[in-house]
Amino acid sequence: MGENNIQINKTKKAIKSTIFYMFIVFVAFAFIIPLIYLTTTSFSSLIEVSDYPRQMFPSFSHNVEFSYDETYERYVLARENNKGEYVILNFGDEKNLSKYLEKNFNVFLEEDELLEIMLPAKETGEPIKVKLYKNIIANYIKFFETFDGVGEAFVNSVRAAIYTIILSLGIGGGLGYALAKTDIKGKQAIGVGALIVRMFPTIAISVSAAVMLIKFGMFDSMYGLAVIYAIPNIGLTAWITKGIFMNVNKELEEASLVFGATKIKTFYKITFPLVLPAFAASSMYAFITAWNDTAVALLLTTNNKTLSLVLYEAIGGVNSIHYAAAGSILLILPAAFFTFYLRKYINQLWG
Amino acid sequence: MSYIKLENLKKVYNNKVTAVKEFTLEIERGEFIVFLGPSGCGKSTTMRMIAGLETVTEGDILIEGKSIVNLQPKDRGISMIFQSYAVWPHMTVYDNIAYALKLRKMSKTKIKETVIKAAEICNIREYLDRYPSQLSGGQRQRVAVARAIAIKSKLFLMDEPLSNLDAKLRVSMRTELKRIHQNLNSTSIFVTHDQSEALSLADRIVVMKNGYIEQIGTPNEIYHEPKTMFVAQFIGSPPSNLFKVKVEKKANKYFLTNKIFKFEVLKEDLKSKLDLYLNKTIILSIRPENITVNDEELFSTKINIVEPQGSHVVISVDVENNEVKIVSDKLNLKINQTVKLGFTDKYILFDEKTGQRIK
Repeated sequence: MGENNIQINKTKKAIKSTIFYMFIVFVAFAFIIPLIYLTTTSFSSLIEVSDYPRQMFPSFSHNVEFSYDETYERYVLARENNKGEYVILNFGDEKNLSKYLEKNFNVFLEEDELLEIMLPAKETGEPIKVKLYKNIIANYIKFFETFDGVGEAFVNSVRAAIYTIILSLGIGGGLGYALAKTDIKGKQAIGVGALIVRMFPTIAISVSAAVMLIKFGMFDSMYGLAVIYAIPNIGLTAWITKGIFMNVNKELEEASLVFGATKIKTFYKITFPLVLPAFAASSMYAFITAWNDTAVALLLTTNNKTLSLVLYEAIGGVNSIHYAAAGSILLILPAAFFTFYLRKYINQLWG
Repeated sequence: MSYIKLENLKKVYNNKVTAVKEFTLEIERGEFIVFLGPSGCGKSTTMRMIAGLETVTEGDILIEGKSIVNLQPKDRGISMIFQSYAVWPHMTVYDNIAYALKLRKMSKTKIKETVIKAAEICNIREYLDRYPSQLSGGQRQRVAVARAIAIKSKLFLMDEPLSNLDAKLRVSMRTELKRIHQNLNSTSIFVTHDQSEALSLADRIVVMKNGYIEQIGTPNEIYHEPKTMFVAQFIGSPPSNLFKVKVEKKANKYFLTNKIFKFEVLKEDLKSKLDLYLNKTIILSIRPENITVNDEELFSTKINIVEPQGSHVVISVDVENNEVKIVSDKLNLKINQTVKLGFTDKYILFDEKTGQRIK
């Protein structure tokens, strides 16, 4: 009997750990690999994007072979593909090839620099193999050059996110405090009401939102966007902060009062630091809502685009997937940094 | 003039519930006062009114002759130790103690000096850089005490500060609080529901029940001369034994009788009072240590339970279906043994209806 049980337990454990590792692998495939793919693409040149199979990690250089075609008096460019074969891609003089390399290889070489490299091929008649180093952030530079107003769009996104945080935390935090600490009538209803607003998909109310924003002169502005983004987050913030305001031991505040602080000082020296995790978590939600949104921005702005909207248009563009990847990384990074930065507070709250 | 004066304090919550009423007390400088009573008796409310954490419905609180009722808590010049310690978790021990000093705009060197001195008194010098979450319950309690003594306050308030500690720590902490109080010669008010804490700490005890003061007195007065039945029952471990007895008078002798015993009252001053209660029922209260075992015989009974306590034993017997506890130094008493019991003259009589002492 006993041995049997041990056997069963062992099997159970084995199954459990198998499932666990399968889950980890699944997460890796579902989340990390696409992210790596995206990162690699953002550092790839156009020619690499069309390689098959695609490389897993970004490269820093291209192996190319220059030869001189005496018949037509031109240089011939061949590139080593990922099977190790040299494939002829283009020919011409240094002017043509310099442009071609910049566009397709992310290799920035002036005409005379290129000529210096190629000249031995003409003089000796032997093909010459060289390693051409890429400008690794070329796609990022190009993303800014190719699409108008990326810089402004970035600033717009940051502004929209900050306004959203201020609105959500200001109103939601105040509401949370009131729900936790006061005896106002119908506070349960107010609390639920604030949450019910979340129920409506923002896109579904965007027409009426557009009308309202036009009326208040906030259409096509970051203030208007922030108002729309803040609506669902106010309720969420109120509930998160309400919970933590209720958990703050009253005696901690009373001790501060007794030991010489005013009510206001007590709030910002004692109460606020203690509820900071809730505000950090709420601001993360608010930030992400604003930063990641495209649909609402598409409908409620015309000239003042946000970064995600510019990116949305870039992805739709022809032959620019590597630029779009660079843009995607630019969009992901702030959100990732923000989330990681707030991680310790979130940990305090729910850890 | 007394140092602190509480005049006819009254607290009514939401125009309905009266928590405290007719609370009048004068406290001398350097006194250690304990508010004692069961939970809900208004002792904490009274303390919180003194601290300014509750508004006063009626009455006045005077410190050195000045009313503080309308002052903010911060302006009252008091310090307080809370039941949950209330040390701020986001500050180090040093910052906790220094908080009040910083608010008083002391110089940095002075603050450091004061904090270290307070920490040394409370034996937490080596923990100054730690956060409260890294400390044990007893250490947090010390932080709370250090924080309270760091400021030169006119009055210390302690709201059941020992109730979250384990039994052993509670006793040692209690001794320490008393030592600190004596060294600093501070004036203190201590709230507790634990009568042994009250007896060991207090210069004077204020026993409260249902918002009223039952009795104010030194621990000895409270223990030996309780004014009401409630006090007699509340104080002492085990508490006083109460017997319902009838007052009888025969040939100028007064007897207290029930079905089990007939006890003669020999105290002259009591006799005259008992005339009022002839043939009526009153309460005879006697402390467990004032019942003699196998000495005189008032009545005999069998021992139900024996609880050895080392230096003495506590035995339980049945008298008219009431459990009577007796403390005896006769350590060889056995269960089911028949013993002769008698009363010493340290008994007290109470009016059955009012619960007031007959004296």
